[in-house]
Amino acid sequence: MLFNTPQFFAFLAIVLILFYTAPRSWRKYTLLAASYFFYMSFIPKFILLLVSLTAIDYTAARWISRTESPRSRKVALVVSLAANLGLLGFFKYYNFFAANIGHLLHEPSGAFALSIILPLGISFHTFQSMSYVIDVYREEQEPITNPIDYALFISFFPQLVAGPIVRAREFFGDLYHWRRPSSDDVLRGLLLLFLGLAKKMVMADQFAQIANGYFRDVSRETGAVAAWSAVIAFGIQIYFDFSGYTDMAIGMAKLLGFHFPINFRRPYLASSITDFWHRWHISLSRWLRDYLYIPLGGNRRGRFRTYANLMLTMLLGGLWHGASWNFVVWGGYHGALLSFERIFRGKRSAEPARWTMFYPLQAAITFGLVMIGWVFFRATTFHDSLYVLHQMFFVPDGRLLIPLWQMELALMTLLLALFEEKKDWFEKLTLGPAWAYGAVCAILLLSVELIGFTEAAVPFVYFQF
Amino acid sequence: MSFSQPGLTCYQQFLRGKRIAILDGLLASSSTTQPSPRSVWTRILATIVFFTAFEGILFHSGLYSSIVEPDSTTGFMELQLRNEIRRPKLNRNQVLAVGDSRMPLLPRVVNEAGSGYTFASIALGGTSPRTWYYALRAVDPNASNYAAIVIPSADYNEPDNFDYQSERETDLHYLIGRVGLRDLGEFPWTYRDKRLQWVIVRGMILKGTVYKRDFIEFLDHPLKRIAKARYYDHDSAGWYYVYGGSDKNLAGLRIDWQHQTIQVPDRITSSERNQIEAMLFPALRPGEGRETAYLRYWYGRIIDYYRRSGTKLIFIRVPRAPLSPPDEPPKLDSAIRGIASQPNVVVLNEHLFDQLEHPDLFWDGWHMNRDGMEQFSRALATAVERVLGPPQP
Repeated sequence: MLFNTPQFFAFLAIVLILFYTAPRSWRKYTLLAASYFFYMSFIPKFILLLVSLTAIDYTAARWISRTESPRSRKVALVVSLAANLGLLGFFKYYNFFAANIGHLLHEPSGAFALSIILPLGISFHTFQSMSYVIDVYREEQEPITNPIDYALFISFFPQLVAGPIVRAREFFGDLYHWRRPSSDDVLRGLLLLFLGLAKKMVMADQFAQIANGYFRDVSRETGAVAAWSAVIAFGIQIYFDFSGYTDMAIGMAKLLGFHFPINFRRPYLASSITDFWHRWHISLSRWLRDYLYIPLGGNRRGRFRTYANLMLTMLLGGLWHGASWNFVVWGGYHGALLSFERIFRGKRSAEPARWTMFYPLQAAITFGLVMIGWVFFRATTFHDSLYVLHQMFFVPDGRLLIPLWQMELALMTLLLALFEEKKDWFEKLTLGPAWAYGAVCAILLLSVELIGFTEAAVPFVYFQF
Repeated sequence: MSFSQPGLTCYQQFLRGKRIAILDGLLASSSTTQPSPRSVWTRILATIVFFTAFEGILFHSGLYSSIVEPDSTTGFMELQLRNEIRRPKLNRNQVLAVGDSRMPLLPRVVNEAGSGYTFASIALGGTSPRTWYYALRAVDPNASNYAAIVIPSADYNEPDNFDYQSERETDLHYLIGRVGLRDLGEFPWTYRDKRLQWVIVRGMILKGTVYKRDFIEFLDHPLKRIAKARYYDHDSAGWYYVYGGSDKNLAGLRIDWQHQTIQVPDRITSSERNQIEAMLFPALRPGEGRETAYLRYWYGRIIDYYRRSGTKLIFIRVPRAPLSPPDEPPKLDSAIRGIASQPNVVVLNEHLFDQLEHPDLFWDGWHMNRDGMEQFSRALATAVERVLGPPQP
């Protein structure tokens, strides 16, 4: 049941009705039942995995909080991390490592392979669950006593399969002090739902047709123009796909009285790679910073250790996205760029750049560098990645793959993003006149009707992670 | 405070502050000014009003259908209908033909002969009796413009084809400019398939979902499209009127109906041959009577529409193939035979045009060439005049 289907909207409407008509003490049970139903609508058997991980982490956190012995606390933490990483490793990375070992041992391809289906959203809910146990271990989070509450935290359907990765303290703050959504929340929630749907169906799915066509067989189109246009099409696709999903998740949560952290802040307007990672998949960046980069020492152990930590964090961040060398290279590429920025700009690299006359140039360079990275992210094989990069830089000419109307659409969204960056027009929209809000929502819905790709419900890119 | 767990109140305060600090723009969880609860409903209402207004002005008013691509199915249908609506009708001695691509009437040929009746055609390839009903309603809103309507059939026995006419989603594409919310009670439910019913209902309400592909093409070159639509709108009636048909023929064709084989002259390519074979020997379903049920319904709707109008509904069997197929025993309960006795309905003898089933008069397995169309037009005019009698002064 994808977010961009009529079935999901029917499901959401039923959930909202049940949630608000149920007695207050039953509401969390309603949400839990809806979340499990939602998860089971994909592959029902994986609910056992989700429930098992929930039980393990709930018990581990309770164990950590009850025992005084540091050793026992550590054992409980290790058991929890081993369960999470073990299952994640098995489902997501087994075949990757098996293929590489087979290659090293000169075995035929697929010699050690298993037929494994990746459980939906496993990368997201394991990270969310691990962060809770680690926070309890660090005594930054009180353990949750009610297993139903914890199960809801792990399985809450708006963010179950593709985030944002929510911290326990954020979620339980809303859960235990739940208040009926304010008028502002309802208006923002609805607007985000429509905006997310438009981002997904109008932008992401339409640009996906170009990117998918090109990357399905990269040798069919030659030349830099074709390669760059396909890579930019993918860059537009993945941003609007993921941020569209996130907007819908945040919007739904608002309608249910929950508040998720933002995940994207117009990343293609970033002035540097560091700035890009402050704007792109923020909840993952935050997780990697708090549970990997800082525990590794962060920037406190000298310059070279800082670069090494950055590199390692980004390599693992790349691998988190998928089990292939392409993702490792993509992570390494960003790690290297972050390290270079650190070398040349020092700690100033973390400061946001001012809007000067050079900002557009900085943003354009950053955009170009990010696009180059997407080649590794999207290409099917490492060989394909190298082929596309060769086309982008060494083979002139080629055909522009993006039709005129899509270029106009992309330009229009760029202008809207600039306007939002400088003027916060969305903020003003919910407080402005009713006609302005109504007109914007109507245009978003009309764009889905008229331009949205509706020939098939296209899954969200990040569902595969 | 429904989900209370003791001891976390301070914690919540901490979170509120922290969250406000990290969120920005739209996603901020609170703001200094809150819209009133009443304004939520005002804004939701405004959304509905704006959406309905945009949808209504663009698609339900006929605005967009006037600039739809003229070379598309929808565009061609719209042109045909607009041309017929605008055609001057000086008296009621008007004869209009509906039909699909197998309707070989050339109005110019008949009108130049000057019988006193003026012939016109809104026949269009790929259309079916459901489409004809709505097309007639569009060109003749008061059921008073015509002395006769000519309605073709390919076979009075109405065999069930593999392509059920009742389930053609394309009918909505032909008619999207002509069906509206008032047709919601009938049009979708003439489909049997539940999924199609949903698609049709959605398309009739949200017409943009049907125009989608055309709209995207429009966005590529909007000015060019508008210019093309205007040009076609202005000039196409003349082009279609002088159209004469194909000069090709199938002279030399032999058909063995029993063994379903054909011999074609050397000039016919293998792909043309395959196409002719597919037309002459279509795969048929075991007779369930679905075609008859479908035709009975839509012929019935057309008859009802003209019931008290004095307009004669003349049903004909068009020339079927380059060589006459063997006669099948007549199916007495077919839709067309069932309506023959109704007032104002005339079902012409099915063998009336058999002499035109000749390879010299066809250019493929179904369609007549220029000579065939001219001969058919004259023969039809004679038959229609016989039915109608002399034109009214």
